[in-house]
Amino acid sequence: MAKKKSARRKPVTPRRRRQRSAKQRASRRPVSRRWGPRWRTVLIALLVSALAWTGWLDYRIRSEFEGKRWALPATVYGRPLELYAGQRLSPDQLRAELERLDYRLDQALDAPGSFHVRRGRFRLHKRAFRFPDGPGPARRLEIVFDGGRIGQVRDLDSGATVDLVRLEPPRIGGIYPAHREDRILIRLEQAPRELREGIIAVEDRRFRSHFGINPRAIARALWANLRAGATVQGGSTLTQQLVKNFFLSNRRSLWRKANEAVMAILLEWHYGKDEILEAYLNEIYLGQDGDRAIHGFGLASRFYFDREVGELTLPQIATLIALVRGPSWYDPRRHPERLLERRNLVLRILAEQGVVAPARARAAARTGLGIRRGRLTGGRWPAYLDLVRRQLRRDYRQADLTSEGLRIFTAFDPLVQAAAERALTTRLRALDRARGLGGKLQGAVVVTDTRTGEVLAVVGDRDPRYPGFNRALDAVRPIGSLIKPAIYLTALRRADYSLSTAIDDGPIRIQGPDGRVWSPRNYDGRSHGTVPLFRALIHSYNQATVRLGMTLGFEAIADTLERLGATRKVPAYPSMLLGAVGFTPYEMAAMYQTLAAGGFRTPLRAIRAVTTADGEPLGRYPLEVEQTLEAAPVAALVSVLREVTRSGTARWLRERLPGLDVAGKTGTTDDLRDSWFAGFSGDRLAVVWLGRDDNGPIRLSGSRGALRVWGDLFAALPTTGLLPPATDAVEYHWVDAETGLLADAGCPGAVELAYVRGTAPAERADCATGRAPAGDGGGPFDWLKRLFR
Amino acid sequence: MRILILALTLLFLVACTLAPPGGKGFRAGPADAAAAVPPPPGTSRAVLTLIAQARDAIEAGDALTAAARLERALRIEPRNPVLWHYMARLRLAQDKPQQAAGLAARANSLAGDDRRLQAANWRLIAEARDRLGDPAGARRAEAEAERLEAGR
Repeated sequence: MAKKKSARRKPVTPRRRRQRSAKQRASRRPVSRRWGPRWRTVLIALLVSALAWTGWLDYRIRSEFEGKRWALPATVYGRPLELYAGQRLSPDQLRAELERLDYRLDQALDAPGSFHVRRGRFRLHKRAFRFPDGPGPARRLEIVFDGGRIGQVRDLDSGATVDLVRLEPPRIGGIYPAHREDRILIRLEQAPRELREGIIAVEDRRFRSHFGINPRAIARALWANLRAGATVQGGSTLTQQLVKNFFLSNRRSLWRKANEAVMAILLEWHYGKDEILEAYLNEIYLGQDGDRAIHGFGLASRFYFDREVGELTLPQIATLIALVRGPSWYDPRRHPERLLERRNLVLRILAEQGVVAPARARAAARTGLGIRRGRLTGGRWPAYLDLVRRQLRRDYRQADLTSEGLRIFTAFDPLVQAAAERALTTRLRALDRARGLGGKLQGAVVVTDTRTGEVLAVVGDRDPRYPGFNRALDAVRPIGSLIKPAIYLTALRRADYSLSTAIDDGPIRIQGPDGRVWSPRNYDGRSHGTVPLFRALIHSYNQATVRLGMTLGFEAIADTLERLGATRKVPAYPSMLLGAVGFTPYEMAAMYQTLAAGGFRTPLRAIRAVTTADGEPLGRYPLEVEQTLEAAPVAALVSVLREVTRSGTARWLRERLPGLDVAGKTGTTDDLRDSWFAGFSGDRLAVVWLGRDDNGPIRLSGSRGALRVWGDLFAALPTTGLLPPATDAVEYHWVDAETGLLADAGCPGAVELAYVRGTAPAERADCATGRAPAGDGGGPFDWLKRLFR
Repeated sequence: MRILILALTLLFLVACTLAPPGGKGFRAGPADAAAAVPPPPGTSRAVLTLIAQARDAIEAGDALTAAARLERALRIEPRNPVLWHYMARLRLAQDKPQQAAGLAARANSLAGDDRRLQAANWRLIAEARDRLGDPAGARRAEAEAERLEAGR
C-alpha cells in the first residue's frame, strides 16, 4: 500500500522526484516491473480466494465423505436357529429358515449358504458368523429328522456327531438416520473380488495409480465428444463419479466439472484407494424403486437379485456393473435387451482385463438376466424393530446407533412372527367384514417366551409392514376383564380366601363420593347368586368381582398389580375393578408373564447383546428374575385360568387347540370397544388386542375377537402345553363347578384345580363317591353356612 | 476395567470350579465344597456342551460370555434347575447379589426333591442376603440349607 501512495504522489513533488530519480535510475527496472505490484496483488487475491475456495471444497468433500464413511447403521439380528438332537423342528421349518437366510439349493454344497434335501435329510453348508459369545465357523452339516424333532446333526467332513450348532441369525433390519433408510452398507472385503476388480476394469482402469483425475482419459473423452458434437464418452474416474454422487446433480457445467475434479484430487489426498472404493460401492446410484433411490451394491443386489452382495454370481455382478453407466437407460424392466447387451460387453472387458477367465465370461454371457426383485429391508418387521430401537435408546446415543455399525442381537423369532402376522391379518379381515367395520378394525399382538421373558414377535398394525402407529407398544386401552386375575390373586394371597370361598354375584350398587351411583352388570345380564370364587373368574362375572374387589381394597389390588409388573399407577376408583384402566398390549404381556412364570417377574426384553462392528461385546441384557409373588397362590390362579380355556369364556380353545393345555383370560370393555385375550402355554405367552383407533364400538367381545386370533396363533406355533407348577405348596382336587365342593373326576361339571395346600374344601358334592381327598384335606370350609347366612 | 475383570475372575475361580460335562458341576466353594452340584442325569449333550463352554469363558475371565452361554443352555432346557443355579452363582461372582438371589429362588422352584441342589441354592441366597445387608435373612437361609443337608 505504501508503494501505491508514493506512486500517486510522484507528479506533485517534482523536486523530490528529481532527487529520487537518481536513485531510481540506479535501480531501473523494466516497464512491466512498474505494473508488477498491481498484478501481484491481483494474483495474491486470486490465489487467496482459490485457496479459500479449495479449502471450502475440501471441507465439504471431507465432511460428506466422513459422514458416509462412518455412517454404518446398526444391524439388528433375530435369534439364531439352534440345531441339536432333540430340538423340536420340522423339515418345513428348517427349509423356511434356510430360505429366509437366502440359502440356495445346490447339490455340490461348494459355497457357504447352500443346501439340498435328499430323502428327508438336509445337507447344508452353513456360513461363518461371529456371534457375541464366539465365532461360528462355516461347516457342512447333515440334519436328520425324527418325528417332528431333529434326530441327529452330523459334520459332513469329519463324519462326527455335532452336539450343538447354530445357523447364522436372520438380519431383520438396520437402524438408520431418518433420511438414509434405504441403504445396505457393505465393507470392501464383503464385495466379491469380481465386483471389486470388475468395477475398476470397466469404469476406471487407472484407478489404482491416478491421483483423483485421469488427464489422459479426459483428453480422450474430450476428443471423442468434440468429434461427435455431443457428450458420448465420460472421462470420469471412480473418484470423480463418487464426488458427483455425493452432491447428486446431473448438471454438466464446466464449473461443476472443475469443482468435481478438485474435490476428487482432495479426496485422494486425504484417503486411501480402498476407502474410496468402499465408499464408491456404497454410494453409486444403481436404480429407482418408485420414489426411493437405490444406492450402493448392497441394496442393489437385494433389489435386483434378492441376495447378499457376497453371494452374487458372475453374470449378476456384470449386470450390476453394467447398470452403473445409466440405471435408467439400462432399466432391466423397460430395456432388458439393452442391459443384456451391455452386461455382455462388461463380461468381455472383464475377460480382456484378466479379471475372469475368458471361458467363465463366455459361459456367463449365455445366461439370462435372472432379475428377481427382492424385498428391501427396513420395512418388514417395523413393530419389532421399533421395540428394539426404544430399548436401545435407553443405553446408546442415537448417533452411535446410526453410525457405528453396531450389531444388535435380539430374540426375534421369524417363525413366531410369521404365525402372529398370519393369525392377526386373516382373522381381522374376516371379522372386519362380518361386523361391517369398513376396514377400521385394528389389532396388535405381542408374543413372549414364558421362561426367559424374551419378546419373540410384535405386530402393531393390521398391516404388519406398515411402519406407523405401533399399537402393541403405544395403544393404551382399557383392559376390561384382563384385570380380574390380579383381583382374584389378591384374594388367594390372603389366608382367609380359597378357590372355593363363596362370593356373592348379586346386583351391586356403589355410591361414589360425588353421589353418583355405579351398578355394574354381568355380561349376560343375569345374576348368579352365591358362587365359589373360581367360578366367578372362569365365567368372568362382573358383579361378584366388584364385590370381591371392594372387600379386598384398592390398595391391596394395586400392590398385586405392581408385583405382577404394572408400571402405571392404577386409579383407586371402583370401575378400576372392571378394568377401566388403560394399559398397552406390551404391558399386559409383561404382567401375564409373571403369572406364566409362577410368580417370578422377569422384565421383557428384546435384546440379548450388542457388539461393535468388529464383534467386541458392548453390552448384554442379562436375564433378570425376581420372585415377587408366592408360588402357591399363583399356581392356584393359573389352574383357574386354565379352566377358563376349558369351560369358561375361552372354552372355544378346547376345540381349536385339542390336546394343548393353555391358560388365559378374555377381556371386553364397555359397548364392545376393545377385545382382549391374554394367555400362555408351557413356553409361549401372547396378548392380543382388537379395537378401533377412534375408539368406536367393534361389536366384538374378547371371546369373539381377540381369542380367535390367539387360538389361530397357538395352533400354528410349535409349543408345549402347560406344565405342572414348580411348587409343592399346592394340591390338586376335583371340585364341583357349581358349588365348589369336593367331587370326583367322573362327576358332571367337575373341574380340577390347584388349591393352596390346606385350603381345599372338606365337604363333598353329592356325586362324590367318598374317596379320600388327594391331599392333606382342606382347611375349614363352611360352604353351607355361608350359603344360608 | 481390566482389573475389575481380573478381580471378578479370581473371585469366581475361588468361589467355584466347573468340571467337564458329564462330570461334576459348578462347585459351591470352599465353604461347602461337598455340595458340588452336577447337572442332572437327563441333561442333553447340547446343554452339557454349553456348560463346558461357559466354564471355558469363566476360566478366561469372561463372565459376560459365560452368562451368554448359560442363557443359551437355558433356552434349550428352561426347566433344568442346575442351569438356574449356575446362573445365580455367576451373578454372585459378578457381584449382583439381588439377581443371584432371584435366580437361586427360581432354581429352587424347579428343584423338585433334589435336596442337595436346594441346600446349595439356600447357601447362595444366604450369601446374597449377607451382601445385601440382610444378616437376619442370611441366617434364616443358612438355617434352611442346614435343615436340608441334615435331612439327607
